[in-house]
Amino acid sequence: MKQEDTTTPEQPRPPARLPLWANPRIGLVVLLIALIALFTTLRPAFLNTQLTLVPMQADISVYAVVGLSQLAVLSLGHMNMAVGRMAAMSAFASGLLHDRLDAPLILALAGGLAMGALLGALAGLIISRTGVNSFVVTLALDFALIGLVSLLYASFTDGVAFNGLPAGMSALRTDTFADYCAGDVCGPEIPLLAPIALVAVLVVGLLFRWSRTGREVLMAGSNAKAAELSGIPVRLRTIQAHALSGLLAGLAGFLLSANNGAFSAGVGDGFLLPSFLAPVLGGTLLVGGAVSVLGTVLGTAITQVIYKGLNLLQFQVDELKLYIGLVLLAALSLDRLRHVLAERRGVPA
Amino acid sequence: MILLAEGLSKSFPGVRALDGVTLQLAAGSVHALLGENGAGKSTLVKILTGVYRPDAGRVVLDGDDVHFGSPLEALHAGIGVVHQERNLVPEFSIAENIALQHLPNRLGMVDRARMRAEARRCLGLLDLDLDPDTRVAELSVAQAQLVEIAKALSVDTRVLLLDEPTASLTGDEADRLYAIVRKLTATGHAVVLVSHKLEEVFAVADTVTVLRDGRSVAQAQPLSGYTRDEIVDLMVGRAYASVELTARTVDRDATPALELAGLDTRHGHRDVSLTVARGEILGLYGLVGAGRTELAKALLGLDAITGGEVRVHGTPVRIRDVGEALRRHRIGYVPEDRKGEGLFLEQPITRNVGVTVWRRLARFGLIPDKAERDVVAEYTELLGIRAASPNQLAGQLSGGNQQKVSLAKWLAASCDILIVDEPTVGIDVRTKAAFHELIARLAGQGMAILLISSDLPEIVTLADRIAVMGDAQVRGELVNDHDYDAVSQRVIRLIHAAPAPV
Repeated sequence: MKQEDTTTPEQPRPPARLPLWANPRIGLVVLLIALIALFTTLRPAFLNTQLTLVPMQADISVYAVVGLSQLAVLSLGHMNMAVGRMAAMSAFASGLLHDRLDAPLILALAGGLAMGALLGALAGLIISRTGVNSFVVTLALDFALIGLVSLLYASFTDGVAFNGLPAGMSALRTDTFADYCAGDVCGPEIPLLAPIALVAVLVVGLLFRWSRTGREVLMAGSNAKAAELSGIPVRLRTIQAHALSGLLAGLAGFLLSANNGAFSAGVGDGFLLPSFLAPVLGGTLLVGGAVSVLGTVLGTAITQVIYKGLNLLQFQVDELKLYIGLVLLAALSLDRLRHVLAERRGVPA
Repeated sequence: MILLAEGLSKSFPGVRALDGVTLQLAAGSVHALLGENGAGKSTLVKILTGVYRPDAGRVVLDGDDVHFGSPLEALHAGIGVVHQERNLVPEFSIAENIALQHLPNRLGMVDRARMRAEARRCLGLLDLDLDPDTRVAELSVAQAQLVEIAKALSVDTRVLLLDEPTASLTGDEADRLYAIVRKLTATGHAVVLVSHKLEEVFAVADTVTVLRDGRSVAQAQPLSGYTRDEIVDLMVGRAYASVELTARTVDRDATPALELAGLDTRHGHRDVSLTVARGEILGLYGLVGAGRTELAKALLGLDAITGGEVRVHGTPVRIRDVGEALRRHRIGYVPEDRKGEGLFLEQPITRNVGVTVWRRLARFGLIPDKAERDVVAEYTELLGIRAASPNQLAGQLSGGNQQKVSLAKWLAASCDILIVDEPTVGIDVRTKAAFHELIARLAGQGMAILLISSDLPEIVTLADRIAVMGDAQVRGELVNDHDYDAVSQRVIRLIHAAPAPV
């Protein structure tokens, strides 16, 4: 006695499409170009290589990875409120490895990534075992780690940072490919951090588009119950997604430390808001089940362009925050609108 | 005549749930509303209580035409209802629950004293000696049921609809409930009783309306004019016009594909034994809440098995999750709740069908697009899934096509044991017949199929054998000779038989 269903007449619908403005990627590219044009008109210095473009690329590299870290759990419909502190713990692990064991760059990096992945897996484990909301679990974890990070730096360093970096790490900060020449041919003015972030982007993109694990994470994000009843190991995928989030947070922490020139307790302090801003601007759904890696990169680029542009126009820090906050609100509203539209037309958002 | 519902019709997409049904109700009487699952009882109850609006027909209460826009309007007009499912808030007190729909307030605050007094009055109507401040969570099932009735009486209720009120009560508790019902009718209330338990109906009801396929086949007749068998005949009706299905031969002597031997579960199943042979369809019939879905889920490792044994192709197995059931034993499960459990509504058809074969297709952990497309195309074609493109979202498909998608993933994964749970609920007649044909064809190809269904005609059409389940036990099993009248009468008798002593 159930007439639960809307048994619509059996007619295939014509393929539906969203209007162009609602396609997040194209919209973002247009917005990005418009912003660059705007800022260049107002301040020609915006296109100055050393002053703006190189540092901006470095920042985009760092924050794109921050965005991917959040994207890794948004895929499940979860959140990671501890991205910043996972990054800080990673940076601490890298710093400690170098400081005490004299670990070379690559080992310090590996140690940092392992720390991040471990913390993420821990969050994922707690969430999948207890069923407590990811927001609550990672928020509590973040709070605990804030304390732990301060305590650790206080006991292992003179203050809030390790002295010195592994050999080669400062080159990541100061050099661009233009500093490396083969004969007369020199590389482009791209900081050495950028290819590291690019690898992360490609790997995460591959993972969610073509790998079984990534797809199963998305299916679990789309409908956990149906995923379980389709034979997907939902708990394992939850842990894996959070571990990936932690690992990427760790990578972001490493990149920022390289950019800052030190492993310090403050690494990751400003990660939380940008971590949401970039994926959401780029069309990743907060409810889970769909992600856009390319969109996250574009979202990061837009955020950083706005940031640098307003900075050049001599806006105060507080004003910057105000405008970035407004951009996030607008992006979230657009996200909702797009979702409603997609639902109405029956196409993937 | 306190209530008259005349010529009520109601259609849902693809289904005519009610077709000119009339219900007459006299004050001071208990009127039984009978019919099989899907006959239209719930739809009728929902129209009378303002949940649905009828497409045609009228409802007359005390001589006035009434049109209810919401359940609240029906309640205030004096029609109270106790649904099959619990509708109390466990964390609230009895008084709060009773007053929920019309909280007495004073200066914007809840008037607790009046609320308690009102609750005491309602409980008094039922001779219930309960403290109105007791939280509902602390009550027994039977007490909660009575509180529901008290709640339904809290407004000046003259018509009380009881939908399977004793489904979760013991015999004694049911007797007490019916004594109270008798008392209510003595004070002029009219009661409509929907129940599958015919003994109770005969014990308490005065008149009867029987629905079949959305029409009334007996209308406000005195119940004393019927025997039990005659009522069953009325409910079941003539033979179901069946589709021509693939003839099958089942080798029952071979080792069964799936065998449950004396299974106990944490959900309360006791000593459940069933076998399904290769190429056989075992119909598992029972009323809603009989524990069939729960049995399937326990089998798949989603609920704990506390005793007995599951054997697949003769080998005792311990299945921990669906993935294991699929990979090791090639068991698939098409859930009853299509939208909530069977499909990923926001994902395209490709992903919905492909999800079970990714493991097989993956090369170095990556899934080649083309291989996936090919598999999905093969099964969308095989099942005749009609969609604009394989990229169409599952949520946008019709109910029948959704169900096919939900089934396709198990066929793609080459299951040879399939558990199908209420496969045609909410599906129009034509698609339903196509589905039946498909299930029969799968069995013809050697698949072992456990068909869980509350749709008796469906079971009689498809099953080779029928097991009847009630209160988490197998009440009996019979070979289906496809003589609809005879088989359905035997099944209905098993359903209405008293539970076997434990």
